[in-house]
Amino acid sequence: MTTTLAPDRDASRQGADIQGFRSIQRRLAALVPGEAWIESPPPLELTALGGDDAPRLIAASVLEGSTVRAHAVAGELSPRFAAFLDGTQRSRVIAHADEVPIVHGLVAAVVRERSDRRMRTWGAPTVRDALYAPIPLLGSRWRDVLLQAGIPVIDTLSRGDPASTHPFALQDSAIHAVQSAREAAERALAERWCATQARELVVDGAITGSETVATSARVVGVIKSHRTLYVEGDALRTVLRLRRGERSSVLRVTSPKRTPVASWYLRLRDPRGHDPLWGLVRVEMAEAGADRLTERADAVSRWVLAESLPLAVPDGRWDKMMYGIRDCEEFLRAIQ
Amino acid sequence: MPAGAQNGETSATERVLGRIVATEKRPNTPHEFHFWTAIDSPIGIGTIVRVDGETPVGGHMVRVYGVVVEGFSYTDLQSPIHDVLGHDGTPSGATVAATQRAEIRLYTAHVLRQLPEEPLQPVPMGNVALASDEDVAVALRMDTYLAPGNRTAIPVGVYRAGAMEAPIYLDADFLLGPEAAHLNITGVSGLATKTSAVEWLLASIFAHFPAQKGSVAAICFNVKGPDLLFLDQPGHLDDADRLVYEKLGVPARPFERVEYFAPYTPQGFTLNTLRSNEALADNLRPLTWGLNEVMQFAEVLLNKDDLDAKADALVDFLQERVINREFTDPVLSAPHRVRSFGDLEAFFRDLLRGVEDRGTGEYWRTHHVATIRKVRNRLSNISTRCAGLVTDEGVVSDLPFGSFADRTVYVVDVASLEENAQDLIFARVVSKLREHLERRDLGVSHVVVFVDELNKYAPGDGPDTYVRKMLLDIAERGRYLGLVLFSAQQFRSQVHRRVVGNSGTSLYGRMDMDELATPGYAVLSPAIKIKLATLEKGQLMVRHPHFAQPIFVRFPRPAVMRGRDGAERYPPQAELPLEVAVMRSLRQLDPSISLDWVKRAIVGHDDALVIRARNATLQARPEKVQAYFEAQFRRIVPTEAVAPRLEKVPLRSLPGDDPYGF
Repeated sequence: MTTTLAPDRDASRQGADIQGFRSIQRRLAALVPGEAWIESPPPLELTALGGDDAPRLIAASVLEGSTVRAHAVAGELSPRFAAFLDGTQRSRVIAHADEVPIVHGLVAAVVRERSDRRMRTWGAPTVRDALYAPIPLLGSRWRDVLLQAGIPVIDTLSRGDPASTHPFALQDSAIHAVQSAREAAERALAERWCATQARELVVDGAITGSETVATSARVVGVIKSHRTLYVEGDALRTVLRLRRGERSSVLRVTSPKRTPVASWYLRLRDPRGHDPLWGLVRVEMAEAGADRLTERADAVSRWVLAESLPLAVPDGRWDKMMYGIRDCEEFLRAIQ
Repeated sequence: MPAGAQNGETSATERVLGRIVATEKRPNTPHEFHFWTAIDSPIGIGTIVRVDGETPVGGHMVRVYGVVVEGFSYTDLQSPIHDVLGHDGTPSGATVAATQRAEIRLYTAHVLRQLPEEPLQPVPMGNVALASDEDVAVALRMDTYLAPGNRTAIPVGVYRAGAMEAPIYLDADFLLGPEAAHLNITGVSGLATKTSAVEWLLASIFAHFPAQKGSVAAICFNVKGPDLLFLDQPGHLDDADRLVYEKLGVPARPFERVEYFAPYTPQGFTLNTLRSNEALADNLRPLTWGLNEVMQFAEVLLNKDDLDAKADALVDFLQERVINREFTDPVLSAPHRVRSFGDLEAFFRDLLRGVEDRGTGEYWRTHHVATIRKVRNRLSNISTRCAGLVTDEGVVSDLPFGSFADRTVYVVDVASLEENAQDLIFARVVSKLREHLERRDLGVSHVVVFVDELNKYAPGDGPDTYVRKMLLDIAERGRYLGLVLFSAQQFRSQVHRRVVGNSGTSLYGRMDMDELATPGYAVLSPAIKIKLATLEKGQLMVRHPHFAQPIFVRFPRPAVMRGRDGAERYPPQAELPLEVAVMRSLRQLDPSISLDWVKRAIVGHDDALVIRARNATLQARPEKVQAYFEAQFRRIVPTEAVAPRLEKVPLRSLPGDDPYGF
């Protein structure tokens, strides 16, 4: 839960409406004369380590058969996805209030739909910026300043006390809060799609954060990051040895605060000469009946494989990234 | 605010088609800007666009007009190798990608005009739209000479972009003087673009040259084939052509008043032109000159080796003291009045005989005998070299200097003549035009002189010929007189730079890439060059003093018969028998003249006498043609046939100071 010190604004705004890092910094400078301001801080996403990102293995139950094995995805690869959803975030320390970092966070999300093989924006993208600060740790002067800054201020300690008052720990809290905002923006767009569209949408990342999305037959999630692998032992070896065009058996991925979904690993590109995770994605979709599971997993796999061209270069994750997702990121980069 | 925006409507040209972009690496400047469009936009090289600024400057919203000169297209692909990898190196076997890569159309435009014009600033960010008709007029500063009451606009064609078609006008003050003048057109041969463009433009000038500016006529030198020989005959036009004629207010019909002039063939019977079909004879006149007309331009026909200082002195003496006046001298057997080449030959013969008979030495009046022989040889040669144009007997049939008519084209067909004769015609006609225009008694106040093949007549290198000097003189001073040069050539880079440099207006048809690689075209962008190299027939690039940048226009086919079609429809007649040629010539004066009558009239007379009688009749244009013609024979007193005297010419040593060895 977040706390705001200023009235929230329209959740869906064009990029041109955001206030921007420099603009907010100038406003703060007017309120706190004589303060030294950070010139060009790097995005925290590039520097923060993050304690939750340790690699781990979690065994998931198998929905398709009894053990995890490789399945060749047969049939013609035909593109099916009508649209792609992705979001971005950028966090930068805008000021240090009595040695406590105040972070400017910018989150954005967009659905880019495909028409006649060309991409265009569906509806309006979401672009939102806010200040993220551990409000209980601020003095009254800075609280007043943030109140007058004319921008939403989100308390990064709303979930509880900080593990530490180390500035980096406070920054990590801010990054997580920004991430939550970004996921919320993505979730909102995906839910809007489910409510209005009968076409297939592919989401960059997990779909488990929203029950509406996670149970929709029209939404597929594709996860490129494998800090958490949902297989262990022989199943892990099977997944890591998947060849191009092969998928794993379907698993059930679940989490206490998330909606369970059907998921499997899919190898998009030949991994020879690369690391075992190269070209490997994890696909999520709403759970289907056991009788249709294989058929559905094969169909969705074909849709995903059909998106392996054009290459999403020059993005470094091009082995796993669909071009439509890269298009979303480029769009969001352009409007921020 | 755009007109459409004021009344709440959005026309096609008001639609935003692009956005200005500027980066540090590729910034906008006061003369250049960049914008992107959708990939299906109608923008292309040569398109005129309007930029609406978003920030007022000095209380005025900036508006910029530009012409697209370069285009770029690229995708988000960083390296071609990525596409190769993506398709496993086999383009034919590649799967069709589900999504097309993001693609950009980025254009560079050169500024035509900024409003307000001060302060001149880099082009601001803003939306880009196609220029409307009104925008085009403003962008090209045509608004200044399209204003009612002060209109001096001459349509040159239409500018097309998308579904829009805007008329483009030249300013008569800058086309026919006095502000600037002259037009040069260049392009590859074989497309008929150059000739067609001039024919179209003359029709446009005749239709739109403002009355308050005076009158205008044109002289066209037909230098090759039948190009300009059917200007009075209707040509083929399609509906699209007619629409352009209608839009530009030019009558879609051939020239109403055209007069053709051509010298005779060397045989002298018929006129030396491909327009010799009897059906077209009514406005065809002979062009013949005598000694008087030629001597003024002797230097055109005599090269520097011929006309050294001594020979030049003798020619001057002949012009000042001998020709057209009674001349006596002790060495002459009788007084001479030299009016024709025949008289001149008689004078020389008498003079040389007298010098030899009297034994007065090797000099006559300070002129060495060898020099006299040389000048005699060279001058006598003129009537041979220019046979058909120059007559021995001095008969003159000339252009109507002094009575030129408004909106009339005078075509001088020199296509079949030798180079010397062409040079002589050009030099004399232009000199006479200049003389009359200086005296304001030509009959019209402006004359357009059209000369094709300028590579030949005014080359950038080579000898400094009389003709080239004449062309330079027109180019540099003609506009003050109303003497306007319309010139054409294949290779502009090889024409004397002062001729093309003084042309206020330049037209470019399809160009050769080698020509475009020459330094004169360095100011053009690669895209403009490739457009020039692939221009369709009927398309031109126009440079005009009012236009800050070259503009592409289309012009309709001229409403006159093409030379090739005319030659097929009106085939030229073969050399006619003398009696038929005489009959046809005299019928222009008296249609009742029959072939039988001509045969009876000329029986017993030699060809030269008959031709002389015909020429005298045509020159006099008597009321009673038949009687006058017959009288020419009666006036000839048959001379006693005398065998040519075989003169003994003493062998003499070469004079020590004569390098020619005569």
